[in-house]
Amino acid sequence: MLDRFDKPFVEEILATVLRYGGDFAEVFVEDRYSTNIELKNGKVELAQTGRMFGIGIRGFLGDKAIYAYTNDLSKDNILAVAKRVGEALGEVKLKDFSIDLRKKELENKHFVLWKPEQVRKETKVGYMKRAYEAAKKYSPTIAQVVVRYWDYDQNVLIANTEGVFVTDNRVRTRLMINAVAVKDGQMESGFYGPGAGMGPEFLERIDVEQAGVRAARIAVRMVDAQPAPAGKMTVVISNEFGGVIFHEAVGHALEASSVARGMSVFAGKLGQQVAAECVSAVDDATIPNAWGSANVDDEGTPTQRIVLIENGILKGYMIDKLGSRRMGMPSTGSGRRQDYTFAPTSRMSNTFILPGDYHPEEIIASVEYGLYAKTMGGGSVNPATGEFNFAVNEGYLIENGKITKPVKGATLIGKGYEIIQKIEMVGNDVARGQGMCGSYSGSIPADVGQPTIKVREIIVGGRNA
Amino acid sequence: MTFEQFKDRIFALAKVHGVEAQLSFSQNKNFQVRYQNGTMDQYTDAGKFKITLQLLKDGKLGMSYTETLDDPEKVFEDALSNIAIIDSEDVEYFYDGKGEYPKIEPYDGSFEKLSVKERLSYVEKAHEEIRKSLDIINDMAVYGQQMNEMRLANTLGLDLSYTNGGGFMYAMAVAKDVSPRSAVEFAIGRKPEALNPIHVGSKARDEALALVGSKSVKSGKYRVILRNDVFSDILGMLISMISAENAQKNLSPLKGKIGEKIGSDILTVKDLPYHPLSISCAPFDTQGVPTKEKTIIENGVFKTFLHNLKTAKKDGVEPTGNAMGTGIQPINLYVEPGNKSFDELLKSLDDGLVIIEVEGMHSGANPISGNFSLGAKAFRVEGGRITHGVEQITISGNFLEMLGNIEDIGNDIRAFMGIITPSVLISNLDIAGNA
Repeated sequence: MLDRFDKPFVEEILATVLRYGGDFAEVFVEDRYSTNIELKNGKVELAQTGRMFGIGIRGFLGDKAIYAYTNDLSKDNILAVAKRVGEALGEVKLKDFSIDLRKKELENKHFVLWKPEQVRKETKVGYMKRAYEAAKKYSPTIAQVVVRYWDYDQNVLIANTEGVFVTDNRVRTRLMINAVAVKDGQMESGFYGPGAGMGPEFLERIDVEQAGVRAARIAVRMVDAQPAPAGKMTVVISNEFGGVIFHEAVGHALEASSVARGMSVFAGKLGQQVAAECVSAVDDATIPNAWGSANVDDEGTPTQRIVLIENGILKGYMIDKLGSRRMGMPSTGSGRRQDYTFAPTSRMSNTFILPGDYHPEEIIASVEYGLYAKTMGGGSVNPATGEFNFAVNEGYLIENGKITKPVKGATLIGKGYEIIQKIEMVGNDVARGQGMCGSYSGSIPADVGQPTIKVREIIVGGRNA
Repeated sequence: MTFEQFKDRIFALAKVHGVEAQLSFSQNKNFQVRYQNGTMDQYTDAGKFKITLQLLKDGKLGMSYTETLDDPEKVFEDALSNIAIIDSEDVEYFYDGKGEYPKIEPYDGSFEKLSVKERLSYVEKAHEEIRKSLDIINDMAVYGQQMNEMRLANTLGLDLSYTNGGGFMYAMAVAKDVSPRSAVEFAIGRKPEALNPIHVGSKARDEALALVGSKSVKSGKYRVILRNDVFSDILGMLISMISAENAQKNLSPLKGKIGEKIGSDILTVKDLPYHPLSISCAPFDTQGVPTKEKTIIENGVFKTFLHNLKTAKKDGVEPTGNAMGTGIQPINLYVEPGNKSFDELLKSLDDGLVIIEVEGMHSGANPISGNFSLGAKAFRVEGGRITHGVEQITISGNFLEMLGNIEDIGNDIRAFMGIITPSVLISNLDIAGNA
């Protein structure tokens, strides 16, 4: 369906923008087919498939950017939108220009076995039911299990006046399980949502029963838990989704969208020691079939592995095209967006702390009293102040080097630039978990990750002072 | 192909296959501009449409959507094949549109008439106002407007349309301190006059400056005021709890509690199809059922769940006009104001905290258990007066327990996205701090 956007037509769109204003123009065409299925009490209650198809047109004048999108794909309308973008930029910069689009064949690093549409919905439902059964059977206190399935097949065409003309295909599949345990009038829920940049074969590659059990375990443990303690204490954060702490506390503040205008607490600190020496972290969109990976970003720039922090020293930012103009630094292939209704901006892909030397047990054993955050929920941050918060969905007390009672309702808060200096031990058990990251350019798939880490002190927002 | 032709084709296919069909067509226009430190950072001027198809056969519903009018056959095929995998015993329905609809003024499109220059002036003025203080080191201002035209038609003869819309603005100011201090302010309205950039800018600036010198407090139980904007955020937890769908599926702590006391005597919460301060009003829900005013909590007593056609039939009650896509939602959740001004509430509080910002609602608040633990900013109140800013604290509790601890309600109602509420005074809430 992207065929109608052939070179001459795309050139005409780009040229129309420049004819009315600006010094750069870009086109993003998206055709996406998605499936959503929801299972409650083991029965399919909701099944929806659908198609998004539209175009986003962007123009720059210096570091000013104008964006427009439409899904009325008649030629007249698209050219009218392109004209509006040029006019809003205001100034005609290029009197004589030629656009020479060069189609680039990408080397696909993310091999997909099955396109979502090639697999019958009944087959997908079969895996969902297996996850449901395993969660339900885990304990008689499990009162409800909701299993959701989501896949999509996204085809994009990206072109700009610098000659970029690429197409890319992104396929993603995710299974999300929410289990609810009820005991003595208390209700608690547990969540696990693995996903990948592959087709429905993902359901075969993971153990769906284990995934169900994992969600159920959290709900069951938490329904017996006491409220978490309140106040400042040592916190050990488990690997995998625990990496949400780096994502929130540091990652967002390393995106060009907050660095370029000096809004970030990390602006102007390249080459400086910003974290404890044991901390090294990367953002890597090139990992084959990872949830946040792609061959090119949503601006057509090849993705790369970006070293953000090395031995505590700030080494890099995540930069998109506009950020590149504002910062005078090259794009790192970090321009991402939810879909064509959002202008791209600098975003994380798969962001994680690299492994250190310690066994997780050694880390726990080193804590006299503190919190063990085994499963993290989401979080958020204000990049301008570095203040972050994130939820502990499954927590335990650590007493005398041992994990003891389950505790619930703990939120961790702090300031990102302080917390990363307080990381004292980094484990050797690095792993990644999947989430949806929300910011200026919408909600996008992103991996967070880390090995088990120990933070000297964080404020724990429990109820037992 | 036009939407009319698309609809005729779908309805004809439905007849051939012996199914009922319902189509919604929504057309959206959207303009937004963001400035950072007085420079344009983002500018979007756009529009799109979306068609959603629901097919109903033997009480089972299959859904599909599209953004192109090219291929009604494929859209029909998709929805039909989705019916095939539904094995829920729930019975779905369509509505015939024969009910009486409330007369609600549609959006008059007054923001659409503003020139680009006029639109930009909102953010420019807010920026200038914020920067009247030299202690401000960063600022951001956003202006936006949207218009959504909705049409809903089905093979039972229902055919309705409605236009919603309005404008909003938002400003953030960051003041210089040992750690930077940020504050935000926003406004929404159905008419451009409702947005005052000077007011929004000065509120954000003054609050950021007032937070300079913030410190944490000792962990413990405090008397607190949840300012209207904060209470609006937290009240969002009620939305999932009052959904009949969630109650029927064991996902609401309010299940089986109709007629029981779940909040303080002075708490009354309604759902309103229309409120002059709101930009999200509607004469019918997404199933075409007429919306109506209803009392959800009356003097602390839980009166009703919100229903769509399916859940109402299952519970043997009338639908309440609260279908929202595949879920259930209030149109405008409205908390009845009390008599006290915000300053009078401060006097009643005497000694405690005014919570002015919470973070992490999407992760730190669990509407199934009702428990929440959220990062927060506050002002310390001593002797009925604000004495200093408070940083690095969390507020934690159980939502329903907290409703029971509402001691006083202000008269300072404000509209947020779909929630209209004054500030409330809570007799005790757990605070974790650093001091």
